[in-house]
Formats: sequence, structure tokens, C-alpha cells
Amino acid sequence: MLSIRNLHASVEGKEILKGINLDIKPGEVHAIMGPNGSGKSTLSAILAGNEAYEVTDGEVLLDGNNLLELATEERAREGIFLAFQYPVEIPGVSNMQFLRTAVNAMRTHRGKEELSAVEFMKLAKETSKQVDLDPEFLKRGVNEGFSGGEKKRNEIMQALMLEPRIAILDETDSGLDIDALKVVSDGVNALRSPERAVLMVTHYQRLLNHIVPDYVHVLAGGKIVKSGGRELALELEERGYGWLGIKDEVEAS
Amino acid sequence: MVMTKAAPTLNADFLEAAGSNLPSPLQTLLAQRGKALVDMPLPTRRTENWKYSSRYLQLSDAMASALPSGRKAGPALAFDGYHVVIHNGVVVPEASDFPDIDGIEILSFADLDDIAAQQLAERLDNTLDSNAVQMSRLNTARFEDGLFIRLKPNAVMEKPLFVICETDAHATGSVYPRIYVEAGTNSQMTLVEEYMSTGTEPALVNTVSEFSLADGANITSVRLSLEGTNTQHIGATGARLLANARFDSHCVGFGGPLRRHDLQVRLEAAGAECRLNGVAVTQGKQHYDNHTTIEHVAPHCNSEETYRNIAADESHAIFNGRIHIHKDAQKSNANMSNKNLLLSTGAEIDTKPELEIYADDVKCAHGATIGRLDESALFYLVSRGIDRREANTLLSMAFINELIAQIPVEAVRETVQARLNQFIEQTFKGA
Repeated sequence: MLSIRNLHASVEGKEILKGINLDIKPGEVHAIMGPNGSGKSTLSAILAGNEAYEVTDGEVLLDGNNLLELATEERAREGIFLAFQYPVEIPGVSNMQFLRTAVNAMRTHRGKEELSAVEFMKLAKETSKQVDLDPEFLKRGVNEGFSGGEKKRNEIMQALMLEPRIAILDETDSGLDIDALKVVSDGVNALRSPERAVLMVTHYQRLLNHIVPDYVHVLAGGKIVKSGGRELALELEERGYGWLGIKDEVEAS
Repeated sequence: MVMTKAAPTLNADFLEAAGSNLPSPLQTLLAQRGKALVDMPLPTRRTENWKYSSRYLQLSDAMASALPSGRKAGPALAFDGYHVVIHNGVVVPEASDFPDIDGIEILSFADLDDIAAQQLAERLDNTLDSNAVQMSRLNTARFEDGLFIRLKPNAVMEKPLFVICETDAHATGSVYPRIYVEAGTNSQMTLVEEYMSTGTEPALVNTVSEFSLADGANITSVRLSLEGTNTQHIGATGARLLANARFDSHCVGFGGPLRRHDLQVRLEAAGAECRLNGVAVTQGKQHYDNHTTIEHVAPHCNSEETYRNIAADESHAIFNGRIHIHKDAQKSNANMSNKNLLLSTGAEIDTKPELEIYADDVKCAHGATIGRLDESALFYLVSRGIDRREANTLLSMAFINELIAQIPVEAVRETVQARLNQFIEQTFKGA
């Protein structure tokens, strides 16, 4: 489904990714772990189409098609979803207006009828309950005045409503207390399906207690230095990154 | 003598006599004001309050003739409420629905008796400083008719009154709509002025609306400038407020070859307060200039002013907001905010807050900003599959939604929102 081949990328002339290779199939859950500054967030930003990063070599294929040629909105419609580490606040655009526009953009792209206001509200209310957000939040500006946890739950809610083919979660566990972590994890587990893949980028193993991955990769210095099954995450928790020859906090940038 | 652009004085053709159907006291006033206009200097770029706008003023000889009133009205935005049609500056009773409410008089100037006309003649222009609002003097020399509204003490108009001012520009010429509202003690009304046009010939729309508010009167004024791009619009609104009166103003304007609105509010007795909201949007090579003045004459008055401009393409938007706190106006509260959104590098915004404070115990704040759309917000929206053009439109509308949401008449609010949305979406056609 998603193939990343020899991906090199830099920002402001500095090379961050130095040859990433990764294959993700439908139904799989992958976790990318690694110390701060290893390039984890860069990888998710590039997949979503953030133009601050320049791809200098390699390719990313979605179902055999060149993903990197597509604009951000086209990638989203083809099924790429990025749950942001720091979702922006957009006062003046209500969550309702934003979600409805996004849901209908997806539906139109998939050849489905747009949802009416009533149908949309029903779906939005149901989904907001699933991530434990008060439906009243729909009237507020996008992420406006949300706590860190509410922002993350809103990201997961969007993933549930937009039904992506691959959901990329960028440090979705950061800044969450244990209850919020549970809610977010339940949301992500609800996303799992045989047709959909999940790529989790995380610094800590604790999220992986709730969302059990099929594969774990260690990213360090812009490369994947080790891959394994779920047991690799436990080993990392026990032993840190040192045994892989990586210092925690390498190349922090 | 041909004087087209930036003529030093008003073309003598503009001095043509007006108001032949009006009661004699008003005719006398028009004639006096007409004489005073001889050799009236036209604004140039050296005229401080017109320096950014004088180059957009393009008065031709032909524009001096008053457009005839055919006494029929074209399509207007129809809303629930009372409505009066002013066609080329003349009230059209056949197309109007004058409410019959106890304590409320609504009359055309032409229908006033001599005594009432004499009283009105003495009051016209009392709310405006004609040195600062030069072009209002042309209106007072040229109006053919006008709308007079008097609310007796405690009179309340429950539904809004829509005044549809249509410029029918099937020929080149000018129109001079005039409105005068006298609001008695504790009276209330909402007046929606809708300026629109039909026809495609060059036309000048020169308006004056005045509001005189007695103690405790409460007026909400909505002013929509929706005319076609063949019209130049120079409008003025003046309001004088006595004790505890409240004036709420919501101005929404779409750009044109020349768009100028002067709004002057005088807070003349303790407890008076005003809220002035304004939105202007421009695209192409359009222009919009809002000049406001709030005079805090008396102590214990409040003013709250919020204006937003959005300028796209190579258009030009101007805001000049003056707050004058007189020396006896202690305990004044004045807040002014002007924010501007530039949608292209070719667009121009000029903003100038002017504070003159002569009292020492006041709270006065002002702020002006010019910015662009937030790239990270745009990325967030498109990363959810939202079309780039739609995302840009959503973010631009977000910049003004807060002000539109405050328009108290729901139907107007929705129509204005839809029109603004459509206008802004057009500016992203290339995106």
C-alpha cells in the first residue's frame, strides 16, 4: 500500500532523512520509535506534504503511484491522514464548518453524495462521543482554547470521520494524561481495520501498551537502524537505545 | 471647460438647482448651499483626509446631471420587515411599505408640511463636521428628496426598516439619497440602508444619513454598500447622542472604483455609547476608504470600534479612525481596533488610528495590524482534503466572521455572509 524507498530529505539545507525504506500493507500497524531529533516528525510531515521539507532523493509510492507529486489536499483525498503533534488553532472557523467541509470533500472525491447538515450533525455527535468530546465543541473555533488532550482527541475524531487508508499519528501520546491516553488509544484501535494501516510515530513505548503494533522500527540519525515485532518496543523500554549504539537525544535539532 | 480627474474645484455643472418638488424651506436651503459650493475645492492628494483616495475620484461633466427618478424599483434584497425604496434619490411610495405605528412618522421630504420642513432645514447637517466631510456639502445642495423618520418618546419599531437606495444608472449622472432620523427619548429602531445599483453607465452616489438620538434612544444602523463597479460612492453618516443613548453601527462594503464612507459620532452627554463595526473587501483594482471620527464630548461615555479590511489582487483599502476626547470628557472609555488582511503582494492597505486626548482620566486603547493568511492554518485545512481555494476562503472569512455575526438581523447576516464568501472565493480563482 505505502512504500517508502531510499527517502532522503532536508530542511534549510540540512539533511534530516538519509535513506528511509519502509513498506506498509493494509491492516498493519507500524510504530516508528527513536530518540528526539532522529527525523520521526520529518517523515510524517513529508508524507502529509509539508513543503518546508525538501525531498532530495528516493520515492514514496501509494498503491504504486508517486505520492510526492500530489498536493497535500490530493494526498488527503487519496487516504493519507496526519494527526498533528501540535494541531493549530483557527479562530473564526468553527469545528463544525471545518469538519463538514472536509468530510464532504472526501465524499465528493470518493463519488459519494455530500452529507446534509442533519446527517453530518448526527455523525459528528456520535463520533465526538467516541473520543469523549462534548458535542458543544463543534460550535467553537477549530482547536480554539482546547487543552492539549482535547486537541489530540479532535485529531483522532477527524481520522474517524475522514476514514483514511493510512493514519499517521505524530507523537499523538505526548502531553496526555493516563485517561486521555486511554481515550485516544481506544479511538486509534477503532480505526484499525483490514483495509487501513496505521503508522505511529512515538518517543515512548507507553502508547504501545494500548495500541499493539505489528512492527516496530527504530529511527536514528535519519535511518531505520532496527526493525522487529512488538517485542522490540519492550526491549527498548527495558534497555533504552544505547544497546543499538545510539545515544538518546542524538543529533537533536 | 472640461474637468475630469483631480479637478481643483467642483465642476460648475454640479451646481444645478435641485429639489423642485420639495417644500420651500428645503428649496431655500438647497439654493443657499448650492451658492456656497461655487469654487469648492475638490480633494487632491494634498488634502490630508483624501490623500490615499483622491486619485480614485473621477468626476466627469456628464456625471453632474441628476439621474431621473423613474419611480420604479429594480430588484433589492427582500427581507422581513418594513421597507422604503429610494430610487435615484427620490422616495417611491408605491414601492414602499410605510409602517403605521403609533409614535412613528415616516415621510418623504416632499410630503413634509412647511413647518416640519423648516425644522428639518435647520437640523440638516447638524451631525456632521462639513470641514472633515467635504463631499456631504454636495449632497445638501443637490438632494431631490429624502426620508424623514421621527420616533416619538418611547416609540419602538419592532421590526427593522429597510431603506433600499437604488441607483438606476442607465445614463451617466449622479444621485443624492438623504436620510434623517430623529429618535426621541427611549425610542428604538433598527435601520438597514442598502445601497445597490442597476445599469452600467458611470454614476456618482453621494449620500448623507443622519441620526439624532435623544436621552436613552437606541438605534441600530446597518449599512450595506453593494453597488456595481460603474458607480463611485461617497457617503457620510453622522450621529449625535444625548445621555445614555446607544448607537450601533454595522457597515459592510464591497470595493468599487471609488468607495468612501465617513462616519462621525458625537457622544454629547454622559452615558452615551456607540459600537462601530465595519468590514470592507476589495479585489481587482478596487478601492474602499472608511474614515471614522468619534467625538467624546461629555464624560462617562463609551465607544467600541472594530474595522476589518480584506484586500486582494491590486486593490486598495484605507482605514482612518479618529478618536477625539475633549477636555471635559473624563472617565471616557474608547477602544479602537483595525485589522487588515492582505491577500496578495500587489494589494495595498493604509491604516491610520488617530487619538487626540485632552482629558487626563480616560481609558483609551487602539491597535492596527496588517497581516497575511496563516500558512500553518492553511496546511492544516488542506491536509484534511479541503480544496485550497475553499481553505483560503474559510480562513479569510474567519477574519471577518466575528463582525458579521454581530449584525442583529438574521436575514441580512446570512445574505451578507454568502455575498462576502462568494466575493472572496473569486479572489482565489487562480489558487
